[in-house]
Amino acid sequence: MSNNKLTVVDREGSTHSLEWEPDQTLMEALRDNDLPVLASCGGTASCATCHVFLEKEVFDTVAERSEDELEVLAEAEGYQECGSRLSCQLDFSRELNGATVTLAPEE
Amino acid sequence: MSSRQPTGNGLNPIVIIGAGHSGVAVAAGLRTRGWGGDILLLEAEKETPYERPPLSKELLKAGAPDESAVLRKEKFYEDKHIDRRAGLTVDALDPAARTLQLSDGSRQGYHRLVIATGSRARSLTVPGAGLPGVQALRTRDDALELKRALVPGARVAIIGAGYIGLEVAAAASARGCEVTVLEFQDRVMSRVTSEPVSRFFEQLHERNGVRFVFGAAVTAIEGDERAERVVTADGSSYPADVVLAGIGVVPNQELAACAGLECRDGILVDGDGRTSVPDIYATGDVTRFTSSIDGASQRLECIQNAMGQADRVAADITGQDAAEPEIPWFWTVQHGVRLQTAGVRHPADEVIVRGAPADGRFSVVYLRDGRLAAVDTIAGLTDFRPARKLIVRKARIDPLLAADPGTPLADAAFAAA
Repeated sequence: MSNNKLTVVDREGSTHSLEWEPDQTLMEALRDNDLPVLASCGGTASCATCHVFLEKEVFDTVAERSEDELEVLAEAEGYQECGSRLSCQLDFSRELNGATVTLAPEE
Repeated sequence: MSSRQPTGNGLNPIVIIGAGHSGVAVAAGLRTRGWGGDILLLEAEKETPYERPPLSKELLKAGAPDESAVLRKEKFYEDKHIDRRAGLTVDALDPAARTLQLSDGSRQGYHRLVIATGSRARSLTVPGAGLPGVQALRTRDDALELKRALVPGARVAIIGAGYIGLEVAAAASARGCEVTVLEFQDRVMSRVTSEPVSRFFEQLHERNGVRFVFGAAVTAIEGDERAERVVTADGSSYPADVVLAGIGVVPNQELAACAGLECRDGILVDGDGRTSVPDIYATGDVTRFTSSIDGASQRLECIQNAMGQADRVAADITGQDAAEPEIPWFWTVQHGVRLQTAGVRHPADEVIVRGAPADGRFSVVYLRDGRLAAVDTIAGLTDFRPARKLIVRKARIDPLLAADPGTPLADAAFAAA
């Protein structure tokens, strides 16, 4: 089983290449690769500290946001209706191989 | 890795006792901040360090996997050269010699010591509290034991109507258990929230079949082989197959106290996590410190504090700047309804309800000397983010405007803070 490759744009605009392993959420992949994702609620869709933006075409291919996730995101800094996700709620998906993920501004 | 940082090579390791959120965050933060010396992470539990919030929430649900997510994959510790030793406790600390006595009989020196031993569930002290069937919820093993007991029809008695007790009550009733919550105070979550929020959650639980007994002073657990009933001071008796004690936590400060570190219901630390003894830090649930927001002495049981303090400890050890402390925030989910709190309320605060609890969605703001001190949001986070900013600013609030849910909270703040 191979990993997904991702490009991540951090809050300063620098890009990082990383590998996302199949048993991780996107949040875990970001955090384990030293990206500044606090995940202060422990991946339970309660804070917005792992908020990321997906490109529209990728956003459309992944499972929809739960009510909980939407509620938290709707109040987050820079919320995008067709792009914002809590990375803790994104399980590994082949659809995301090669995607570019942008970290949302800090609260 | 930055070259301007002290690498720490050739020194004793930085030893971190405790691999909960805060301890693991210190270890990870030291590496992120360029610490190149040895890091030793000691942990009493044997498993890979895991997330705790899901233990009383997701994990208890019927059909949910018996795992709770790990804080970091096993491989992370290898990749970052964090030496993790599990199933080991520290028997003694000698600050003068800068050594630890470990439970395997060995001695361990340290360059810096970080105590992140967390807290444990306060134990019931009444007769019968040791019977099988009586338990607390703190570790994954606790959660799994409880989950096995939450079968349809099981009679579940919960002592204490705080976050843990109520989250378990919600999970148990959803699984078809008969749930009775025994609470000494006259309302739920009385320590952390105001009456309107308490009453809202009581009604929510009652609609879902949970029974409350307030003013209940538990005097004994009775049963032959295992717990069969809970007895209260007025002579009432509540049949129970499972008894959960959710009566708060106590800090695991004994190691520190014995070694002469200043403790007062928590290890005393400054804003950088330094204890009263040089080269020893403490972080997370085990600490007591002065709030940078309102000057109160406090012990905070929340992840936000565990992570924030960990960052400041890692920054101080590596001689770098840390982010300003965030205001503390807390959350609970019961019967699918989210209560999210920012700031720490005092019982004497002025209480202003925004919106109608009957609608199932409202906020409560807490004013102290006319300034915003805390907020509760129930099933709606609209006020949460603006409130956090206003609390940091110590903004003066117009009570009449704040009571109108149609007025954005930020517009209820007076211009000159």
